[in-house]
Amino acid sequence: MNIYKKWFWPLVAPALILFIAVILVPFVVGFVNSFLAWRGTYYFNPETNSRATNILQSFVGLTNYKEALQDERFMHAFWYTIEYTIIAVIAINVFALALAILLDNISKGAGALRTTYFLPNMLGGLALGFIWQFIFQIVYTDILFAPDSILHNEFLRYMTQNSNKAMFALVILNIWQYAGYMMIIYTAGINNIPVDFYEAASLDGASAWVKFKKITVPMLMSSFTVCLFLVIANSFKMLDQNIALTNGDFNTRMLALQILRTVKDTTPPNYGRAQAQAVIFFVIIAIVSITQVRVTSKRELEY
Amino acid sequence: MADMKTFSESDYFRKKKIQKIIIYIVLLLIAIYTLAPLYFLLVNSFKGNVEIIDSPLTLPKSWSFQYIISAASEIHFFKALGITAFITAASVSLIVLVSSLAAWIMVRNKSKASSFVYLCFAAAMLIPFQAIMYPLIQLFEDASLKNIGGLIIMYGGFGLSMSAFLYHGFAKGVPRGVEEAALMDGCNIFQIYSQVVMPLLSSITVTVIILNAMWIWNDYLLPFLVIGNTTHKTLVLELYFARILAGQYGNPWELIFPAVLITILPMLAIFLSLQKYIVKGISAGAIKS
Repeated sequence: MNIYKKWFWPLVAPALILFIAVILVPFVVGFVNSFLAWRGTYYFNPETNSRATNILQSFVGLTNYKEALQDERFMHAFWYTIEYTIIAVIAINVFALALAILLDNISKGAGALRTTYFLPNMLGGLALGFIWQFIFQIVYTDILFAPDSILHNEFLRYMTQNSNKAMFALVILNIWQYAGYMMIIYTAGINNIPVDFYEAASLDGASAWVKFKKITVPMLMSSFTVCLFLVIANSFKMLDQNIALTNGDFNTRMLALQILRTVKDTTPPNYGRAQAQAVIFFVIIAIVSITQVRVTSKRELEY
Repeated sequence: MADMKTFSESDYFRKKKIQKIIIYIVLLLIAIYTLAPLYFLLVNSFKGNVEIIDSPLTLPKSWSFQYIISAASEIHFFKALGITAFITAASVSLIVLVSSLAAWIMVRNKSKASSFVYLCFAAAMLIPFQAIMYPLIQLFEDASLKNIGGLIIMYGGFGLSMSAFLYHGFAKGVPRGVEEAALMDGCNIFQIYSQVVMPLLSSITVTVIILNAMWIWNDYLLPFLVIGNTTHKTLVLELYFARILAGQYGNPWELIFPAVLITILPMLAIFLSLQKYIVKGISAGAIKS
């Protein structure tokens, strides 16, 4: 049909223009700026110690990258984010898969429970982060895990005032907020597995664990691809909850917050260095996400 | 022999029953844990600072709305609600229109250009917001678009790639014959799009609307960078600045609790009334992508 060919560019154009204006151009400008002494509203000329009259004068090569990698706060945020991501990805997915499988075993009330678990996901990370700050600071510290409680546990007290503990506080908060979402994706995957697979396995005398390992897990590979991708991206880019819980105090800044605060830490605001950090951030996310999707989709089954 | 068999069978069913009871108990405990923060939020929205710290778990001594009312005026609730609703509705409409048009025509016109555009959108999903935010804000400021209008355009650009992806997956399932029949009947391309294609894509449209609305409504960073502390703030921004301002003198829980409660109330109402579509929509999006 010729009509589709004729209308291809006019109908793609709005999307393409938005893509170019909002993503492509800022991305390219940002990449270029990471090599310049960029101060946000103007470009700096390091040789004359004044504003650059043309952009080439503010070229500083890899200086911004060197500074970023030597910046203790940035490197701390980098490792903090990696550690958090590893823990959160495992914890959220295990929890979500367990919920999906348990719910698959019951019929009465499953819908209501599913809705309940999903509910926190609809509510904002910043707003709920404030409530969790209260829970960690007051409910966990003074009531639930206080010395005179039977659940007394020092690790779960004052969680927002210590770098290590705050990481687990973030994990707890994010399990609460995201496990329900991932559970829905796993449930959709479980519903797609033909029941006769399990019936045939039962006739052969397979135990529940064998069925899980040999049928459920391989058949859920495409769900794993989606869920791992979403949780990895979400964990790396975590910002709202980080701000709400600790605001980055006590060495708890993650990468997204570090990039945001770099311009406040430096005077005049060093946007060039922040941009170099942002480019490093992008490269890490791209490499990790592409690797993960490649590895898990290779294991997806066709049947 | 027969007795043995019935015995082991009833044993089997008893075991199954116990197993089921344990599953229910575990799931109920998790449900209680899930709802607990919302319970704290509700009961503490009716208490003063002292009562909140002294007895955070109990019901309030009196259900007086004074804290909710003063929080509502503190964060300019109705104005902020209107602004947030407008930004969300306008951005989501833009995303739906632009991404469905592009995805559909890309499916219908297979060419090198078409797959290149598709690749661009796919690559865009890997770019984190932080990688482009500073130049983006600067460019939009230079174009005098550092305002609500510009914010909507930015959301259009950010929501586009994933939505186009979802539409692309589903547009493949639209039978071409129906479109051709409409063409024979003298429909033009826009009539085919609006009267034939979009109705067939309505289920994925629900998914696209839900996913984008959830994110835009709750977004903090982009409005923070674009609007900042001006008089036209979104709900999340009002909450953030109220927290920052009051937080200088310790933790102002008697403001935070009711403020959080009323900011999440609209989303909660929408969720409870549309929960079936929301859960279905998210499963649909996950399977195809």
